[in-house]
Amino acid sequence: MLSSMAATGSLKAALQVAEVLEAIVSCCMGPEGRQVLCTKPTGEVLLSRNGGRLLEALHLQHPIARMIVDCVSSHLKKTGDGAKTFIIFLCHLLRGLHAVTDREKDPLMCENIQTHGRHWKNCCQWKFISQALVTFQTQILDGIMDQYLSRHFLSIFSSAKERTLCRSSLELLLEAYFCGRVGRNNHKFISQLMCDYFFKCMTCKTGIDVFELVDDYFVELNVGVTGLPVSDSRIIAGLVLQKDFSVYCPADGDIRMVIVTETIQPLFSTSGSEFILNSEAQFQTSQFWIMEKTKAIMKHLRSQNVKLLLSSVKQPDLVIYYAGVNGISVVECLSSEEVSLIRRIIGLSPFVPPQAFSQCEISNTALVKFCKPLILRSKRYVHLGLIGTCTFIPHCVVLCGPVQGLIEQHEDALHGAFKMLRQLFKDLDLNYMTQTSDQNGTSSLFIYKNSGESYQAPDTGKGSIQRPYQDTVVENKDELEKTQTYLKVHSNLVISDVELETYIPYSTPTDTFETDETLKCLSLERNRLTDDYEPLLKNNSTAYSTRGNNRIDISYENLQVTNITGKGSMLPVSCKLQNMGASQSYLSSSMPAGCVLPVGGNFEILLHYYLLNYAKKCHQSEETMVSMIIANALLGIPRVLYKSKTGKYSFPHIYIRAVHALQTNQPLVSSQTGLESVTGKYQLLTSVLQCLTKILTIDLVITLKRHPQKVHNQDSEDEL
Amino acid sequence: MSRLEAKKPSLCKSEPLTSERVRTTLSVLKRIVTSCYGPSGRLKQLHNGFGGYVCTTSQSSALLSHLLVTHPILKILTTSVQNHVSSFSDCGLFTAILCCNLIENVQRLGLTPTTVIRLNKHLLSLCISYLKSETCGCRIPVDFSSTQILLCLVRSILTSKPACMLTRKETEHVSALILRAFLLTIPENAEGHIILGKSLIVPLKDQRVIDSTVLPGILIEMSEVQLMRLLPIKKSTALKVALFCTTLSGDISDTGEGTVVVSYGVSLENAVLDQLLNLGRQLVSDHVDLVLCQKVIHPSLKQFLNMHRVIAVDRIGVTLMEPLTKMTGTQPIGSLGSISPNSYGSVKDVCTAKFGSKHFFHLIPNEATICSLLLCNRNDTAWDELKLTCQTALHVLQLTLKEPWALLGGGCTETHLAAYIRHKTHNDPKSILKDDECTQTELQLIAEAFCSALESVVGSLEHDGGEILTDMKYGHLWSVQADSPCVANWPDLLSHCGCGLYNSQEELSWSFLRSTRHPFVPQTCLPLEAVGSASNLTLDCLTAKLSGLQVAVETANLILDLSYVIEDKN
Repeated sequence: MLSSMAATGSLKAALQVAEVLEAIVSCCMGPEGRQVLCTKPTGEVLLSRNGGRLLEALHLQHPIARMIVDCVSSHLKKTGDGAKTFIIFLCHLLRGLHAVTDREKDPLMCENIQTHGRHWKNCCQWKFISQALVTFQTQILDGIMDQYLSRHFLSIFSSAKERTLCRSSLELLLEAYFCGRVGRNNHKFISQLMCDYFFKCMTCKTGIDVFELVDDYFVELNVGVTGLPVSDSRIIAGLVLQKDFSVYCPADGDIRMVIVTETIQPLFSTSGSEFILNSEAQFQTSQFWIMEKTKAIMKHLRSQNVKLLLSSVKQPDLVIYYAGVNGISVVECLSSEEVSLIRRIIGLSPFVPPQAFSQCEISNTALVKFCKPLILRSKRYVHLGLIGTCTFIPHCVVLCGPVQGLIEQHEDALHGAFKMLRQLFKDLDLNYMTQTSDQNGTSSLFIYKNSGESYQAPDTGKGSIQRPYQDTVVENKDELEKTQTYLKVHSNLVISDVELETYIPYSTPTDTFETDETLKCLSLERNRLTDDYEPLLKNNSTAYSTRGNNRIDISYENLQVTNITGKGSMLPVSCKLQNMGASQSYLSSSMPAGCVLPVGGNFEILLHYYLLNYAKKCHQSEETMVSMIIANALLGIPRVLYKSKTGKYSFPHIYIRAVHALQTNQPLVSSQTGLESVTGKYQLLTSVLQCLTKILTIDLVITLKRHPQKVHNQDSEDEL
Repeated sequence: MSRLEAKKPSLCKSEPLTSERVRTTLSVLKRIVTSCYGPSGRLKQLHNGFGGYVCTTSQSSALLSHLLVTHPILKILTTSVQNHVSSFSDCGLFTAILCCNLIENVQRLGLTPTTVIRLNKHLLSLCISYLKSETCGCRIPVDFSSTQILLCLVRSILTSKPACMLTRKETEHVSALILRAFLLTIPENAEGHIILGKSLIVPLKDQRVIDSTVLPGILIEMSEVQLMRLLPIKKSTALKVALFCTTLSGDISDTGEGTVVVSYGVSLENAVLDQLLNLGRQLVSDHVDLVLCQKVIHPSLKQFLNMHRVIAVDRIGVTLMEPLTKMTGTQPIGSLGSISPNSYGSVKDVCTAKFGSKHFFHLIPNEATICSLLLCNRNDTAWDELKLTCQTALHVLQLTLKEPWALLGGGCTETHLAAYIRHKTHNDPKSILKDDECTQTELQLIAEAFCSALESVVGSLEHDGGEILTDMKYGHLWSVQADSPCVANWPDLLSHCGCGLYNSQEELSWSFLRSTRHPFVPQTCLPLEAVGSASNLTLDCLTAKLSGLQVAVETANLILDLSYVIEDKN
C-alpha cells in the first residue's frame, strides 16, 4: 500500500514537528532546566534531562520527527552532548527558512517585492537552499571558525604542549556540562564526583586511549545503589564486579589471579566428539581421572600463588570445592565486557588449563593488590585492587540515589561527560575554501574594498551609533513593554529610531529579525554608494523589521524598500564579476585539542557576529541568505538560556554587551562561570546542518503499511 | 519478524503537578499513609480479588509493596520510600508522609521550582548538620553496656506497629527476645573488624506470643517420622560435620557438549552408586558424625551411613547453607571423591526439639554467632507483621551499633527540629542564604512550609481526635485526649511529652501545634542526667531517620522539578 504526502508542506511540517519538540526540550535546557519523567513499557520510571533520551521515549511516529530523532541520536553517539541544542537550533533554522519563503507568498507585500518573489522562486527552491547549506558547511563554516572565532578560544590545558589539565578548569567545564544534565540540587556534587574520578583514574601521561576505555566500559565502571541519598555516592579505588564470590578465601600479600573462559574441569566429551563407555570400570576410572586432574590443576594454580580465579562461565561444584580447599577465591559468570575490561586494564590473556600436565610456570597471571567482598546496602560485590599496566588507574563510581531512575540519569550524565571529554581531547581538522584573487586586478580590488568597507562599517558607524543607543538602554532598562511609546517619541530621530527597534523582538518573541541587522542597516546607509551588492541584505533586514512593528515604522521602512529595489537589480552583475574574478583555493588547518569558550551562548553570539560580517562581504545571494539564516538561528540558543533572567542578565543586554565588545575589540565578559567545548559546538552545528539538508532534499514521503522486510545483504548473496 | 511491531507513540503531559488527577491521587496516598502512622495508627486490610491471602498491616513496606501504583509520579514516591525501607527498614511512613506534605505545602506557595529546590536543600542540610552536631537537643548516646536504652529502642518499634496485636506483656517479652537474639549475633572476642552473625527467624504460627523463644544455633525442621529415625548420639566431644553442596543422589554429572555412548549392559547407575558408597566409606573412616546435604542423598548411601551410626540429613536448602557453613566452620564439599580433611567442621551437640506441633533438629554450636528466633503469633497475618517488625528491630539495632545514637521519638524530634529551623531562619537568614539569589521572604515562606510539613507528620500521630501541643522551652510534643475539658490547666492534663523525657510538672508554657508561635530557641545540648533517670523513653533510630529525612526532601525536590511526564504506552 502506498500513500503519499504532499511535498510542498514539508518545510512547514518539519517546522511544526520541530516546534513541538522544542517546547519539550527547552524546558530542560540550561542551568534553569527542569526534569522530565519518562515511564518505560516495563513500568519503570526514568528521570531525565537528557535530550536524546526524551526524544527516544516519545516514540514519535511522524516521519520527519523520526528522521530528526535519528539525526539526534547519531549525533549523540558521537559526542554525547547537545541533543536539546540540536532541536532548538534546528527549529530556529526552519523558522528562518519558513519566514524567508513565506514572504514570497505574502499577498500584502507591495508590488516591488514581486520582482524579488520571482527571484526567490527561481533560486531559492529547496534544492538550492540545501546545496547552499552543504556549501556553507563544507567550505565556509570551517573558515570562519579558523579565521575569526579561533582568536576567542581558550584552552582547557594549562600548558598546551604537554596537555596538562588543571583541576579548576576541568571543574568549570564539568560544572557547566552537568548544569544541563542533572537536577539542580545535584549538579555541583556530581561534577565534583566526576572531577575526583577523573583525577584519580588518570596519570600524568593520560592520553585519549583512557577516555576511550572509560567511554567503552562505563557500564562496568559504575555501581548503582538505590535507597541511599545522592550525597552518599563516592569513588572507590579498584574495580567492583557486580557479582558475589562463589568461594571467598581471605588472602593477603602476594595475590595473583587468572582469568578462565571455559570450565577447568575436563569433561567427558567436547562438542563434536563421541565418548564410548564400554564398562562400568571405565566410567569410574574416567571420573576418577577427571577428579584428579581438576585437583592437580587447582593445586598447581595454588603453587603459583594464584589466589583468585575469575571465570566467564559457571564452574562445576568440583572446581569450586577444590578452589576452596586450596584457598583460591572464585568469581564466576563474568560478562564478556567485564572480562575484556579487566584484560585491557591489566593486559592479561586467559589461562588455558594445560592439556599435558607439567610443572611449568603459568605465564598468564597478574598481580592484584587486594581482593575482598564489598557490601553496599546489604548487597555483596567483589572488590578487586587491580594494578593497571596502562595509563588508567582503575577506580569505580558508586552512584546512590533514592530511585533507580535518578541513578540512571546520573550514570548517563557521567557517561556523556566522558564522551564529551573524549571529543575535546581530539584535534579537529578544518578544511575550507578561500577565495584568493590573483590576476583580475579590478575585481580583487573590488573585493578588497568591499571587505574593507564592511569591516570598517561598524567602526565608523560606532561613534554615532553607540552613544544614543546606550542612552536608550538606560532609559528602557526597566520598562521593556513601553518600547512602543518610546518608539513613537523617538521616531523622528533617525538614529535612535533604529536603535529602539532593537528592543522590539524581545518583547515580541515571535518576531524573527535581528538587532545586528538593524544596527548594520544604519551603517549600510552610509556605505550605500560604494557597496553595490549589499541592498539585498539590507532589503532583507528591513523587510524583517516591517513585520510586526507599528505603523510609523512601516511607512518609514517602505520608503527604504522602494529605494533599495532599484539597486537590487544590479546584483546579478556584481555576482558574476565575482565568480569570474575569484579563483578558489582550499585551505586546511586544525583546531588544537582542548579549545573551550565560556558558557552562556558565547559561541553562538560570536559565530552569529562573524557570520553576519561574512554575509555582508559575500557576493552570492544564496550564501548570504544561508549565512544570515544560520546566524539568526544561532541566537535562539542563548535566548532560551537567558529566558528566565531579567534586568542586566536578560538576553538583550548580554547580546548588546557582547556585540559592543566585539566591535571595539574588547574581550568578551561572560556573566556565568563555566566553560564548554568548542569541538562539541562545532560538531553540533554541522550535525544540525546535515539534518536540515536531509529534510530539505526530501520531496515525497511514502508511507508503507506493512511489516518491515528483512534487508538481505546483497554482497553475501552474490558470493554464494 | 512477526514480533516487530510499530511502537505506539508516548503520551506527553506538561506541568504534571498542576493536574487535578495527580493532586487527588497524591492526597489519597497521603491519607493512606498518615492514617497508618504511629502506635494508634489504623490498620489497612489489603486483599486481592484474584486470590492470595489477606494482609492486615500498618507498615510501609507491606503496604507499599501490595499497592498497585500506576501514576508515574506516585511511582517515584513509593519506590523511593520502598528503597529507603529496604536499606534501613525503619521510618518508611515518616518518609512518605513528609514527602507528601512537602509537595503539598510548597505547591500552595507558587514559587518557582528553582527557588524551592535550592532552599529545601539548604534547610535539609541545616537539619542534618544539627542532628549530627554535638549541641543537638534531641538525640541521646546509646550505651551498649546496659540494655535499658536498647530495650527502649526495640519497644518503640514494636509499639509503633499495632498490627502485630501485642499486649503490653507480650511486647516486653518480644522486645527482650529480639535484644537477646541481636546480642547473640555479636562475636565474643571481636578484634578490630566485627562481622555480625545472623538471627534466623523460625515461624511458629497459631501459638501464644509468650511461647516465642531464642535458641543459639540452627533449627532444621523435620517430620516426626524422620526425626525418630535419627539415632541418638552419645558423645562427649564435639561432633564432626560434613556439609555437601553437591547432590548425593547418584545423578551423572555434566558430560560435556559431545555425546556419550554407553555400551549395552553397562549400568552407569551402579557405577555411580559404587562411587557414592566409596564416599560413604571415606566419611565413616574419617569419623564423621553428621552428614548434611543441601540436595538429595541417595537412599542407599543414607542407609549405609545410618548403619555406621552417622546421622544424614538431606534437602537442607540453599538458604541455610551460609549460616551452616558459618556455624560449623565447614567447607561445603562439591566432590564425590577424595575429601580434604580440612573441609570438615564441628558442632557442640545435636538434639531434637518440639515446639508446638513442629519438630526440629537442633544443631548447637561451639561458639558461634548464629541463633534462631522462634516467633509465635496467633494467626498468619499477625505473624507476618510481627516477623517484619522483628526484622526491622534487628536491623535498627545493627544500624545503632554502627552509629551509637538514638533520636527522641514520639514526635519530639520533629517538633524540636521545626522549632530550631524556625528560630534559625528567623534570626540568622544570611548564614543560610549565603551567596544565593533567593530573598529572605522566599526563605521565610519555604521554611514555614518545611516546618509545617514536619509538624503535620507528627500531627498524624493523633488519630483519636486529640489535640497536639508543643512546649516553648524544649520544643517537644505533648498530646491531650479528645474529651478533655478545654481549660488552661495544662500541667494536670498532660503527663509526659511524646518521648517521655520531660514531665508536665516543670514550669512550661504550651501552645497548640497548629497555632502560630513566635520563634523560640529550643533548648539544645541534652543534659545526660535527664536521660539516665528516664526509664521508659520512646526512641527512634538515628541513621534511619536521617536517611528518611534526606530521601523525603530529595524525592519531593525531584517531583517538584518535573516539567513533563512522558508515558510509554507500549
